[in-house]
Amino acid sequence: MLSNLARETRFLAKDRGALFWLALALTLSVIAVSFGVAEVREQRSTIATLTKEDAADRQNALKTQEDWGGAAYYALHFTYAPPSDFAFAAMGQRDSSPWKHRIKMLALEGQIHEADTRNADFGLVGRFDFAFLAACVAPLLLILLLYDLRASERTARRHDLLVATAGSSSRLWFPRAFVRVAALALLLLIPLWIAAIMQGTSFVITAQASMILVGALLVWWVITELISRIDALPSILLTSMIGVWLALAILMPAISKAAIDANNPVPDGGEILLLQRETVNDAWDLPKDDTMLPFAALYPELSDHVQIDEGFEWKWYYAFQQMGDEKASPLSQQYRGARLARDRQAGLVSYLSPASFVERGFERLAGTDAASMIAYEDNVRNFHAGLRAFHYPLMFPEVPYDAALLNDLPIYDPNPSSHDPSP
Amino acid sequence: MSSAIRIAREEWRLWLRSKVVIAAALIIAVLLAATSFLTAGRVVDEQSQRLDKQVAAEEAFFSQPDRHPHRMVHYGHYAFRPPPPLAAFEPGVDAVTGQSIFLEGHRQNTAMFADTKASADLGGFATLSPANLYQLLLPLLLIVLGHALFLRERESGTLAVLLAQGQSGVKLAMGKGLALLSVIAALMIPLVAVAIYSISLGESAMAASSLVFSYFIYLCIWGALVLAASIILKQRAVSLGVLVFVWLFAALIVPRFAINASSAAIDAPGKIESDLIMLAEQRKLGDGHNAADPAFQRLQAQVLEQYEAETIEELPINWRGIVASYSEAELTDLLNEHAENRMGLEASQSRMFDLFGVISPTISIGSVSRTLSGTDLATHHRFLRESETLRFNFVQAVNQVHVEDLDYARDLNRNASDEAGQLARVSADSWKVLEEFRFVSDASGDRLSRAALSLGVMIAWLLASVSIVFLAARRVRM
Repeated sequence: MLSNLARETRFLAKDRGALFWLALALTLSVIAVSFGVAEVREQRSTIATLTKEDAADRQNALKTQEDWGGAAYYALHFTYAPPSDFAFAAMGQRDSSPWKHRIKMLALEGQIHEADTRNADFGLVGRFDFAFLAACVAPLLLILLLYDLRASERTARRHDLLVATAGSSSRLWFPRAFVRVAALALLLLIPLWIAAIMQGTSFVITAQASMILVGALLVWWVITELISRIDALPSILLTSMIGVWLALAILMPAISKAAIDANNPVPDGGEILLLQRETVNDAWDLPKDDTMLPFAALYPELSDHVQIDEGFEWKWYYAFQQMGDEKASPLSQQYRGARLARDRQAGLVSYLSPASFVERGFERLAGTDAASMIAYEDNVRNFHAGLRAFHYPLMFPEVPYDAALLNDLPIYDPNPSSHDPSP
Repeated sequence: MSSAIRIAREEWRLWLRSKVVIAAALIIAVLLAATSFLTAGRVVDEQSQRLDKQVAAEEAFFSQPDRHPHRMVHYGHYAFRPPPPLAAFEPGVDAVTGQSIFLEGHRQNTAMFADTKASADLGGFATLSPANLYQLLLPLLLIVLGHALFLRERESGTLAVLLAQGQSGVKLAMGKGLALLSVIAALMIPLVAVAIYSISLGESAMAASSLVFSYFIYLCIWGALVLAASIILKQRAVSLGVLVFVWLFAALIVPRFAINASSAAIDAPGKIESDLIMLAEQRKLGDGHNAADPAFQRLQAQVLEQYEAETIEELPINWRGIVASYSEAELTDLLNEHAENRMGLEASQSRMFDLFGVISPTISIGSVSRTLSGTDLATHHRFLRESETLRFNFVQAVNQVHVEDLDYARDLNRNASDEAGQLARVSADSWKVLEEFRFVSDASGDRLSRAALSLGVMIAWLLASVSIVFLAARRVRM
């Protein structure tokens, strides 16, 4: 076996076509990984800048406040999902879902759907990251490396002689293909490993990612192997392999995506906002009790402090902000639920397409999948609830304003303990 | 010429006998028909839905009861962007950007709820549209059909015979090219159908026909590249491999690489980032809700002088309204300055992206296609600008009502009791100030001139690739 591998390695070293594809794989991997690392660095520095600016802005805003309501109204809080130490390999949903917000204690539904996304052209075309390389381009390179192993020998009229000399065809073709697949996998993975060490990615995650890539390449190897047994011209073999690649890597994901989206309609996001806005606006014209009594039912501990005597009081204002959220909550939950349902079904369908499986696998490891983005939104919701929990016991019983107490304002924690969003 | 037609007819006969070709052509025909049909249906639905929503938003605004005018500033309004007719072929950035914006006083909101955010994540492309198929799959079909077009004659030994009969390499190449050209013409049929359909929906004939023309050029570029490879290379497997590599490079790798490169080269700060910088500047302007802010002292002196009044209570107009109006104008200047800066950076990112068309015609056709269809970034930016104008105009019109129609003393007293609050209101008739908003596509001339650069790049590609074919064909020897 070893001597076979050594022989095939020497053979590969003389095959200029194969060397070209392998060199291309290495180059693309280096490019994908370097862009990823640069992007993560950029996002981290943005977060660092924003955290600093945000704190300064809040300090400044709070300086001039004289009551709890004003303090809550003018203090904004920066929330964000930091890129994980493996995000360089798969930016995933970070490009289409927002990962940073500035939140204040007003109705959250009006704030959390804000999209601080990038240039729309970018989202449209997508980025060249390692996950894309591994999912879509690597299989094509593998096909180009393997499609004419047998056929080229047939064309050179050496095929039968070689098979006869080698004794069994597996002793000949297996080592030859194995050397190529292994070289391809290694050349793709080495830049990834180097970047993972630089970024401090945990060994387990790097190992899992490597296994996903190797596993997918093995699946593609089996596919090309099955096709290349057909006794046909190399060009016909290549055409068929590219057809299969196209079906599995491009068409299958696109068609399943359309089908899943059609099967799981999400509520029109505009309706969430509209409902929340209408509720908040209507409250101005309603008797104050219409807001305060349902609010007191939500917060029994504050029910002694919900009497509104003046034309305008901050407590009333924040109470109807919250009632706007409560009213829109079922719709908003439905939106969230539909996104999770779509994601679950996409997870099932991805077993049918190695390309989708790799892309999703990488995004899961990198914490850039849909579930992670929804977990971030949940985290923002928790933080916002924390703001309410901080302010209400001061605002409602009308505790005298004391700016020093604001030092205990909740601080946003980007890494809460639990990550998985419940369905 | 007749010999060219004969050669082309012979190619067609061979193609029709090949199972691989028939299968590939059938699959693509089904995909084209299905996506065109589905996308067109969706776009027509969305167009009428969004128009309905726009009208409903206006009616909701008009039907608001008597109120304090500043409440209407915060009640706000919505702007919707219906897809243009050609979005049936090329949905463009629509799926990535939101299509509606909430408009209110003191804020510029983003367009929210982009489809891609909630879409099932399976990697690959944002959407499967007819435009995607034309840009990515049809070149691949041309490669499958044409990679052995010329070298087949070489492999089978008929090339020598043909040359000996007095056929020149160029004539032979013309025949093969004609065969490929007839395939391209057939492939244009679904696009022509969608274009005619879009004209029936009100699209300009010039934009629709330019779109058809651009895709024709694009496919001809690929046809010429395929033909050139089949002339220059000596083995069909090599020719196919090289062409697949060119496709991989031009259709998949370069566009994404160009995205990475242009976002790395030009840093466009996000909205939160530029807002934070802006907030610091805004603090210097004063808070529009608080008329006693020192920043308004100068304004006060000026207004008092204008009306020859001693105190703001003596003014015939509502001082709080003046303050609201003044600070809205100041703030909007600031917001617009930052928004323009951000959009300018995004536009230069996209221009840089377009320049990569020099190494990948797929980038150029994508850009031409979005621009001519009216689904490009520039159109989205125009939507943002127009909805901002709508926002500013209605906010200022309502502020004007505040200035003229609401008594200052009653306004100040509004929170004293519920009755006082009732008095500090203006009639619902005042809400008629809202303008009607219907977002429409750019004139086709504007779209064409915006697409000119990328179209020029494509024509250069075509000239270059056709020249390669001729040069290679002239050098064909036995």
